[in-house]
Parts: sequence; C-alpha cells; structure tokens
Amino acid sequence: MAMTMTSSPTPPTEPPAFGASAPAVAGAVAATKVYGQADTEVRALDGVTVNFAQGRFTAIMGPSGSGKSTLMHCVAGLDSLTSGSVFIGDTDLSTLSDKQLTKLRRDRVGFIFQAFNLVPTLTAAENITLPMDLAGRKPDTRWLDGVIDTVGLRNRLDHRPSELSGGQQQRVAVARALASRPDIIFADEPTGNLDSRAGAEILTFMRGAVRDFSQTIVMVTHDPTAASYADAVLFLADGRVVDEMQAPTAQKVLDRMKALGD
Amino acid sequence: MFKLTRKGLWSHKRRLLSTFFAVALGVAFLSGTLVLGDTMRGTFSDLFETGNKGMDAVVQADRIEADGMEQAGLIDLALVDRVRAVDGVAQADPVVEGYGKLIGKDGKAIGGNGPPTFAGNWLGDSPMNSYQLVEGRAPQQANEVVINRGAAKTGGLKVGDSTTIQTPQPVPVEIVGLSAFGSVDSAGGITYTAFTLPAAQDLLLHQSDKITSITVTAQPGVSQDDLVARIAPVLPAGVKGVTEHKLTADQKESINSGFLNFFTTFLLVFAGIALMVATFSIYNTFSIIVAQRAKESALLRALGASRRQVLGSTVAEAVVVGVTASVVGLFGGLAIASLLKGAFTAFGIDIPATGLVLTQSTAVIALSVGIVVTLTAGFLPARRASRIPPIAALREVAFERTTASFARVLVGATVTALGVGVVLRAVLAGGDGVLALAGLGSLLTIIGVVALGPVVARTASGVLGWPVAKVRGVTGAMARENAMRNPKRTSGTAAALMIGVGVVTLFTVFAASVKASVDESISKSFGGDLVVSAGGFGGGFSPELAAEVGRLPEVETSAGIGTGGVRLGTATRSVTVGDPAAIGRVLELGVVGGALTNLGPHDLAVEQKEATEQHWQLGSVVPVSFVDGKTEDFTVGAVYREGDVLGSVLMPTAGWAPHATQSMDVAVLTKLHDGVSIPQGRTAIEAVASKYTGTDVQDKDQYVASVGAGINQLLGLIYVMLLLAILIALMGIANTLSLSIHERTRELGLLRAVGQTRRQVRSMVRWESVIMAVFGTVGGVGVGVFLGWALVKAASGEGIGTFSPAYGQLVTVFVIGAFAGVLAALRPARRAAKLDILSAIATD
Repeated sequence: MAMTMTSSPTPPTEPPAFGASAPAVAGAVAATKVYGQADTEVRALDGVTVNFAQGRFTAIMGPSGSGKSTLMHCVAGLDSLTSGSVFIGDTDLSTLSDKQLTKLRRDRVGFIFQAFNLVPTLTAAENITLPMDLAGRKPDTRWLDGVIDTVGLRNRLDHRPSELSGGQQQRVAVARALASRPDIIFADEPTGNLDSRAGAEILTFMRGAVRDFSQTIVMVTHDPTAASYADAVLFLADGRVVDEMQAPTAQKVLDRMKALGD
Repeated sequence: MFKLTRKGLWSHKRRLLSTFFAVALGVAFLSGTLVLGDTMRGTFSDLFETGNKGMDAVVQADRIEADGMEQAGLIDLALVDRVRAVDGVAQADPVVEGYGKLIGKDGKAIGGNGPPTFAGNWLGDSPMNSYQLVEGRAPQQANEVVINRGAAKTGGLKVGDSTTIQTPQPVPVEIVGLSAFGSVDSAGGITYTAFTLPAAQDLLLHQSDKITSITVTAQPGVSQDDLVARIAPVLPAGVKGVTEHKLTADQKESINSGFLNFFTTFLLVFAGIALMVATFSIYNTFSIIVAQRAKESALLRALGASRRQVLGSTVAEAVVVGVTASVVGLFGGLAIASLLKGAFTAFGIDIPATGLVLTQSTAVIALSVGIVVTLTAGFLPARRASRIPPIAALREVAFERTTASFARVLVGATVTALGVGVVLRAVLAGGDGVLALAGLGSLLTIIGVVALGPVVARTASGVLGWPVAKVRGVTGAMARENAMRNPKRTSGTAAALMIGVGVVTLFTVFAASVKASVDESISKSFGGDLVVSAGGFGGGFSPELAAEVGRLPEVETSAGIGTGGVRLGTATRSVTVGDPAAIGRVLELGVVGGALTNLGPHDLAVEQKEATEQHWQLGSVVPVSFVDGKTEDFTVGAVYREGDVLGSVLMPTAGWAPHATQSMDVAVLTKLHDGVSIPQGRTAIEAVASKYTGTDVQDKDQYVASVGAGINQLLGLIYVMLLLAILIALMGIANTLSLSIHERTRELGLLRAVGQTRRQVRSMVRWESVIMAVFGTVGGVGVGVFLGWALVKAASGEGIGTFSPAYGQLVTVFVIGAFAGVLAALRPARRAAKLDILSAIATD
C-alpha cells in the first residue's frame, strides 16, 4: 500500500526528500502554498517534498510561521496547495473533490487537535466512533475494545466531554483517531493544552500505537519534549525543510531549535 | 461607547438584519391596518359628504336597522308640496331609494360583494342630485335608466344597451345615460340605477303615492337648524327633518362604529399576532447576541467600562434597530394596506378605499409600538447579561442559562393551570361574558405555555427527535442533541411558531366545527330535495320565484325563505319570513306546541329556546313594529325545537308583506313529487330559476357544500392574514439557527475535519430546525385545538353544537409546520456547509 518516491519527480536543486528511503504512506512533492498576491505575497510552503513512512512517528517542528501547520493541513486534505502535490497512499489529493476529500479524511485519516477535539453533545463512546458512524460503517468491536482499554476509558464511555478532564478528553481524541485504523494520524499540538503529566500520558499512547499497531503518526509541535517521543523530527523554516533528526532527544531538539532562532 | 455601538451594529449586521425584518414586518402590518382603516374612513367620509352635498336637510321616516340592513319607512308624496310651501325652503325634492341589482353584459350581476347595489329616482339638474349626467340623457320612460359610469364599465354596458335590473323581480331596462358621483365613476363600488320618479315608486315601493325621503335646501339666510325647525310643524308623527350636518355625522358615526370598527378590529387582531411573534423573535435574537457577546462585554468591564456603559451599548443597538425598522415598517404599511385590499378583493370582498391616508396618529402608534417592542425585547436580555460578574463571563464558555429555574416551572404551571381553569369555567358554566372570560383564559393559557416552554423543550425535543436519530444515524442524533442542548433557545424559537400555528389551528378547528354543525343541522332538518339559493352575500331574489317553482308539475312543495327587520318590544331584530305550512313540509322543525299548518297572518312560530328566553307561551301576544311605522299584535301560534336552519322567529308572509316594500327571498326549499328524479327536478327548476340571475339550484350535498364554501373563503382570508406571522416565525427560526451555527463554528469545523460531508452538515442543521419547528407546531396545535374547542363550546348558543377537530386539516398544518422547519433551515444549512474548515479549527 505504500509507495516510494522513486516514481515521483524531485527537483534536482532540492535536498534529498525527507524519509525518501522508507515506504511512504503519505507525503508531499514540491508542495508550495502562497497566500496573498504580488507585494503582499507570503510563501507558507516553498517547494516542500516529504515522505511519511509507514509505521513511523514523525514530529514536525519549526518556529511560528515556518509552515508546519500548513504542511500538515495540506497533507491531511484540509487545505489545498498552490502548486505541487500531496498524496495519501496512491491517491493524489489535488484531484479530489470536496466530497472525496471528506470521505478520505473520514476513512483514511485520523485527527488529534490541540483543543476542541470532541463534539460536546456526544458521549465519549459516540465521539470515538464518530467517523465510522458518519460513514455508516460498523466499527470492529474487538479492535475498538482494545483501543478503549489501551487509553483507559472503559468507565468514562457514557460521559460527555464537559464531564471529562482535559487529559481524558485528549485520550478520547486519541481513541477516535485510532478507532478507524486510518492510514495515517495527524496530531496538531496534541499536548499543547495539557499539563506535563497528562501530556506525557497522551504521547505514550501515541508512541504505543506506533510500536504495537504499526500506526503512522505525524505530529506538529513546538515542544521538544513532545518531539522526543517521535522516531524522527522534521524541521521547517520559512516554508522549507531545513533539517531532520532521527531518534531525537529533548535536549538535541532544543539545541537544534535554538539554532533555528525560535 | 457610541463608537463601540456603531462598530457592534456593523459587525452584527447579518444577525440584526432579521431582527430588523421582524420589527419592520410587524410594524408594517400594524401601520397597514391603521392606514387601510383611515383610508376607508376617509373614503366613506367623502362619499357621505359628496352624497349629501347641496342639501340642507332631509325629511325621512323612522328607520329600522337589523343585521346591518337599514330599512326606511315611507312617507307620503303629498308631503313634498307641503314642505315646499314652508317659508324658508328653497327647494324640496322627492327621493325614492331601494335595492336594485343591475345585470351586466355577461349576464352576471354587477357588484354586490360588499358595497350595496342601489336603485332610485333620477333627480335631474337639482343641486341636491349627487350624481351628474356625463353621457346620454335623463330617463323619460318607465323602462329608461341612468346608471353610474363605474357600474357601466364593470358590466360592459353603454348608452343604448338593454339589460335587466332585479328589484328583486327582473325588470327589462334601457340605458339612456351614464352618471358620475362627484368626480368619480362610482361611490366606493356602489352601483346606482336611476329611474323616473313614477317608475322608481312603482318598482321599488309598489305605491304611487309614497316616497322614501325628501331632500330640502334652504333659502339664503336660513340656517340648517332653522330650516328643520320651520319644517317640523308640517310633518306627521313618525317623520322628522334632519339637518345635513347631523345626517352626514350620523352616517359617518354609523359606518365607523359598525362596519369600520369591526373591520379594523379584525385586522388589528392579526397585526397583534404578527407583532407578538415578532417580539419573541427579537427577544430570542437579542438573548443570543448578548450571550455570544458576553466575553467581549466582560473584557470591556474588566478594562473599566461600567455596567451602565455595557448595557447602554446593547440598548443603543436596540434603539437604532427599533427606530429604523419602525420607520421602514411605517411606510411599508402603505404597501401592506394595498396588499390587504388586494387580498380582500381576491377573496371576493370589495372594500372602498381610494388614496392611502397616512395620519399622524398612525405614525405615532406604529413608531412607538415598534420602538417599545424592540427596546423591551432587547433590554431584558441585556440587563440579565450585565448582572453576570465579568470574571465569570471571561472564564465560562457560555454563561447563558440553559435550563429552567424552579420559579419558572412554578409560575408557568400556575399560569397555565389558571388559564385552562378560567377557560373551562367560562365555557362549561356558560352565562354572560363567556367570550370575554374565555378570551382572558386563552391569553393566560398561551402565556403559561410559553413560560413552560423551556421546561419541556429538552424532553420534547428528545422525544420528537428520537425517530430522526433512529432513521438518520449519527447526523440525526447530533441534530436531536443540538435541539436539546439549549432548551431556552429552542423554546423561545419554537414559541413564535407555536403562537402562529396555534391561531391557525384555532380558526381551522372553529371553522370545521361550524361547517360540521351546519352540515348536521341541515341533514337533520332538511327533508326536501333541491334548494334554490342566492349566490354571493347580501343578495336575494323575488318571492315570485318560489311561486313559479311551486307551479311546476314536478314540484310538490316550494317554500321561499326571506328575512325582514322588525322591532319586537324594544329590540330590533331580523325574523324569517315564509309560508309556515310549506316550510313545515320541507324542514323538520320538531314542533312541540301548536301546528305550522294552521297559522294565520298574525301568528308567529317561535323556537323553543327563544320562547323560553322571552317568557312566551302558546297564545302569548307579541306586539311587532314594522318599518312603515305600524305596530300590530301577533300571537305565538307554534313552538319548534330545531331553529338552526330556519332561525328563531318565523313570520307568515301574509303578515309581513303589507309592511314591506321590497320583499326578497334568500332561498327556496323544494320537495319533488314521488317518482320525479333529482335530475328531472333540477332541469325543471333550473329552467325557471335561470330567469333570476344569481340563483343557484343545489341538491342537499351541494347546499351544505355552498354554506361550507363561504366559511372556507373566510378561513382562506384568515390564513392569508396569518401568513405574515408565520413568515416572521420562520425568520426567527432561521436566525436562531444562524446564530447557533456561528456559535458552533469550531464544532462544525471539527465535524468536517473528521469526515462529515457537506450534505451531512446540511442534513444535521435541517433536522435540528425541523425538530424545533415540530416542537412549536405540536404546541401550537395542542393549544389551538383546546382553545378551538373552548370557542365552539362558548358559541354553542349560536347554533354551533358540533365540535370537529378536523383531523385531516390538522395533519396538514402539522406537515406544513415541519416543512417550515426545512424552509427556515435552507440558508443557515447552506452557510454551515460552506464553512471554511481551516479557519473554523484554527486555534486562537
């Protein structure tokens, strides 16, 4: 199901694409996103080529305005590029209609946002199965049970989000992202609103999902500690990939970020 | 703070727009009603002034008014000369006036849908003739007439044409001239046919020595009062002189306190309903706006703005919206007035209104009502919001109180119980003032139910939304939850629709009950086969028709039914006129005393209920005064039980005719000989009836249906009047949805991100709207059926004995209510689906 980058053209002037060697589950080729026109033009992404490898936990870091969120939104099918292309599996997202993109997000992508992850009127259980319910699919009960037990939500399933702590809410979000066994999960600052202990808990679940279920996860963060849970870190600045780091530690990431002037 | 208000207005323009429309529409209806009332009042004033122009006094006999029909007594023609001889009188003209229905080129009657159809004598060049010849010449022969140009245009008639006028017997005439009333072709839709004096006397009064009145002008230097005083000595008893000032004033007063009063009250009720619905919409909108702005206000407070300043900016917003919308509504009223007039015309009712009149008092009333309503509805939520401590508002996501307080439950339940109790007490116990008491109870019931709305909204939305959640899956479940999440908002939104639907239901149920009652009483009483009835309203035909039909070999019995006004004791009232023996053969009256077959000319048949009320028994002597000034003693000769079809007093034609000038029947009830089929009978009767334009031959079912058709027509008019209220309620739902969607931007963004399709978003919003609309509709139907039942009970004395909930129509109302939800959701759903996911989920 993964596809390698060999078949995709890579501009020769670019540095080697991030993760080019491993089988990619999603990625971008010469992704460029421009806001505004002429004088006010802002290049949020400037020819980014990346591959997110199957079963890997990748963190995207960079200073504010580096384009890390834009990159994630584009690969996740939430935003469109000015030029270049993004893909999930062998699907070129630029060819899809809004309806097809919606279905792709529903069936093949998982999301964990920083805040407001859950629909307030639905219970924890209903929030977890929401994408499948929207698709009209029956969830795989055994898998679902496993996910719920992993995040430790068994006795909170009938609670509404307002009755859950911030950490519990994020655990529900993680469970939702895992429940439909998506090709890839995108996490946008998933621990940004949590204290360090609850944050560590969430990151441990994500790490575990990658290790145990071979889940592919891409996480945008500016927290070096959070990034240290990932297999690799991709650094962005001014809309370009500027560096990458395998087997990161919090200290190494921090040093690198300082060098980038964050 | 003014700058803030201005910026606030600008940034909330979309949500304030619907508030603006709600106020403007409500005020427009109010102002339109007042404008139409004033316009009609002005039109009538002009009519009377033009009509009485040139005369100084009129000499006439006492009048009898019953059921809106005024009947004048007659005076001697010889009196004209005596009046002319009085010192100070310059001129005195004999006037004959009566009923005359002109038939147009197409064979149909001209006018007759409101404005009267008059016939009289042509006054020639007299300054007291309010009509002037504009074409042709004055009538010289008995069969020559001058008609007003308006009637000629409507009927496609011109000078030289021959046509028919019913007085009520059909009379062939030739049109020799056309007239104008002052500067117009028709006096507010009135048709006027003028004969020579002898012809008018013959046709309208059947007496060559009588006339209706004498118009008089005074010699220079003689005042109107002086003139009347001088004439008085020559007048016989029962005849008096009236100055032109008093006559005009009396005519205006009569139309103002009678027809116009009823008409404007009727319209004001609907304007009131529209305004009430608008108030709910505005209140709801401001509640939501204030709640959504709580954080902004709290920030302002934290930065040092006083409570007054924060409150002031919302109030200023309400003032701006209220003032502009009221001004727009005031002038929109001119358009509404024209639309209302058009609506009445479309339903076959012509109302005289020319040149729209916008008076100062209309402006004052419309503007102040609009502004007060907006201010009140805007101030209350703002004050409530300003009581929240700023820090609490900053912390909370939404501080709006969403659940009902205990006090609300208590007050709501008490008021509802009280209202229902008062209604039940009023209609079950009966007695005087039933309608007033029932009305008060109804109002209390509605207030109570509205107050209880938030208490039941959550449960009700849950129950009503249950099937939606079952059928539509998670989309339906979320729609249901969204309708349940803020009961106050849901019930506030639904309340507006509830009131509209409640009133629709009330009238629907009442009309259905009236129809069912008529149906039942006709089925029960009418033992005949065919009915000849007069189409339109206020119409009638010559009693000759009944006689002619009676002579047909196919017909066994033919009973003409007419009405007439008399004075019984001190009260004027209308009685049914006909041949009691014949009527007894076609109507099952349930005679309980005496017999209809042997009533003499001076005997009456009386409904049992009436007899009990008047303390009459068989043999009681009742003095009856007639319009010709004579009083005769009548004896109660028969008492019957079933008066719903016939009426409560039946006077033999033989007793009535000597006092009447233009006797008219409104229906002929017939029974065919055994062996004659209905179609055979119909063919025979139609051959006779066709000579009398405007008649309709009907079998029993058609007769019942034609009575029902009249009720349907009125019901249709009422529906049109309520359309605006429903429209405002729909805008209210749409607005609440829009505001809710605005509030749930991030939630919708999340849903879209995790895979909700646009179609599903639309469906979710639509179903939420439908649940709210159905909630309002169910409440409205419930309240409406109860109040309809109460009204039927309260009116049971008026011959409405059958309560019919009209299930079929109620289902229709229900479906329309639900569909209204779909309609209201159209725009909000589209906007929700178009939401930009990225900006919705962007963290701040």
